[in-house]
Amino acid sequence: MSKAIRVEGLVKRYGDFAAVDDVSFDVSEGEVFGILGPNGAGKTTTLEIIEGLQRPTSGQVTVLGKDILKEPRPIKARIGVQLQSSAYFSYLNLREILNLLGSFYPRRLPPDELLALVGLADRANSRINQLSIGQSQRFTVAASLVNDPELVILDEPTTGLDPQARHNLWDLISEIHARNVTVVLTSHYMEEAELLCQRLAIMDHGRIVAIDTPGNLISRIDTTYTVKLQTDRPLSDGQCHALKKGGSLQTLAVDPLIQPTSANSYILRLDRNPESLNQALDGIVRSGISLKHLEIQPATLEDVFLELTGNELRD
Amino acid sequence: MLALTIANLKMMARNRQTTFWALFFPLIMVAVFGLFDFNSFASSNVAVLDLADNAASRQVAESLSEAGLIQLDDPPTSLEAGRKAVEEGDLDFLVAIPAGFGAGTIDGEEPSGNPAAGQVDGAALVTLVTGGESEERNQFVANVLRRGIDTVTQGKPPEERPDQLITERIETCSAPYFDVVLLGLVGMGIMSHAIISIAVHISNYRNLSILKRMLVTPLAIWKFFAAEVIAQLALAVIQAAVILGVGVFVFRAELVGSVIHMLPIIILGSLVFLNIGFIVSAWANTPAAASGMGNVVSLPMMFFAGTFFSTSALPWLLPYVADALPLAPMITALRDIGLHGANIWEVWQQLAWLAGWLVATSVVAVRVFRFS
Repeated sequence: MSKAIRVEGLVKRYGDFAAVDDVSFDVSEGEVFGILGPNGAGKTTTLEIIEGLQRPTSGQVTVLGKDILKEPRPIKARIGVQLQSSAYFSYLNLREILNLLGSFYPRRLPPDELLALVGLADRANSRINQLSIGQSQRFTVAASLVNDPELVILDEPTTGLDPQARHNLWDLISEIHARNVTVVLTSHYMEEAELLCQRLAIMDHGRIVAIDTPGNLISRIDTTYTVKLQTDRPLSDGQCHALKKGGSLQTLAVDPLIQPTSANSYILRLDRNPESLNQALDGIVRSGISLKHLEIQPATLEDVFLELTGNELRD
Repeated sequence: MLALTIANLKMMARNRQTTFWALFFPLIMVAVFGLFDFNSFASSNVAVLDLADNAASRQVAESLSEAGLIQLDDPPTSLEAGRKAVEEGDLDFLVAIPAGFGAGTIDGEEPSGNPAAGQVDGAALVTLVTGGESEERNQFVANVLRRGIDTVTQGKPPEERPDQLITERIETCSAPYFDVVLLGLVGMGIMSHAIISIAVHISNYRNLSILKRMLVTPLAIWKFFAAEVIAQLALAVIQAAVILGVGVFVFRAELVGSVIHMLPIIILGSLVFLNIGFIVSAWANTPAAASGMGNVVSLPMMFFAGTFFSTSALPWLLPYVADALPLAPMITALRDIGLHGANIWEVWQQLAWLAGWLVATSVVAVRVFRFS
């Protein structure tokens, strides 16, 4: 399969600070590729270099078979970009904005078709400030499709959306994928990346720490289950010790091992030992912990990220 | 680019605030200056050409000062020079007192010097030279002068006191104050709108990432700015047309020059101010800051560069500074064309000065401009 994007040894420095520090990856044609990472990991900078908005300090970026530094304009004509928090002209209606954007491209889709695709057909004569946040986010995706692109780059398309609006957008991205358009998106929502992306790159501090399919990433880590518990009163040292001593608790990069989240809430991460789940539950019962809430989840990308970077993904 | 320009014009028409500032603010000023007759308020200056130089003539001169007229310290040296000064608008009134004036009226002084004005029955006549601007004001000055002469000659019986005043009216080539201000307002309106609106516009676009959004399309970015500038130029021309139209048709300003010759000045001036707007937008982080900074640049320029009063009225070195500002040559050129019927090539100095500003501001604008 040919590559939609090929990034090799990409570096972007601002003075001494390396926003992107030797990043290499490929995106295959027709694939949905996700870049995950906390704010400041270098996701947006990487995308902006691919989009031709910024010049890299060093490295090679090939988009749709062309060097972005040498032939930015033909590439820009064939890709669609949704920028993080980009708005549009306040005094034009949606159809007019799409017409205007379309006029910059040799190939374009009719505005009404695009608006129908994102479920905004009845808002064609509205202005952007008359839309809800979810609607305007869908509109920015429609705007990125105005040139019927082969590759769409979406920078945090679902940030700030309520759950329903987010689900709408997931459906939309799946639809774009179904049209055989390559999609690159960034996110700091794990479940979203797991659901949408065929392959993921996890970025932290300007570097890619892992790159694989979501399933492979999860099976690669040591954590199998996460146990969340909430108690009536804070755990005593003895109880903490009992949980740790149970032998089922795996020492993660993060210290303390048992992290207080909200009031009297704790998270245990269990390792690959087949007995670990039993041992953890046993420890809870034996040490007389009075539970208000108990939740057991299989490992997610959240845990992958935590294990790989030692950071929580969301701020 | 055509699509962009049309979209820009559409947005302008829909943005009522822009239209308000572009048109109504200068129009309010036009109305203010049109409704008040500043000519009758304006303190008039008078020069006394005193060829008699005796007690009687000095008393007449005194009476003018008492009536609140400002006397020039260095009056013209001849009646001809005085007439010319009135004609050119440097002087509002010239009072010429002939050498034979006041003979035998006070202390029996003998006439001296050569008679410069006409004489009737041996008595010298005072000549009042006026401009043609305000009939009321001419009457007022003539009455003051008559009373002054009467006081001096009252020793004689009325039948021996013929009217000793000749009035002489000259068509001046200096325009009424309103007409002068009207052309100043054209420059001011274009200047303040161009600077503030482009600064606010661009910083708004930057804040909304619209500039960035344009950069990810294959559109050559100069086309984006060109469309912006073309739309603004169109608005500037409309502004000038409306302001001049209201001035001429509602408030009866008289323009002798060709509007066609004003067009290049309006375009050149607008380009300079748009550049300044681009520079302001590069420094301002928010549209509100851009608006404030735009005002900081445009308000002093509006007052200093001769919209309402001549830059020569400024103290010290300020006239030179004021004349160097881009608004000054623009307004001067507009006035030379509009009020004195000059051709576009006769104002080449102003054009050159504006062109210099255009080059300088373009260099700075390109240097400091930022997209995000």
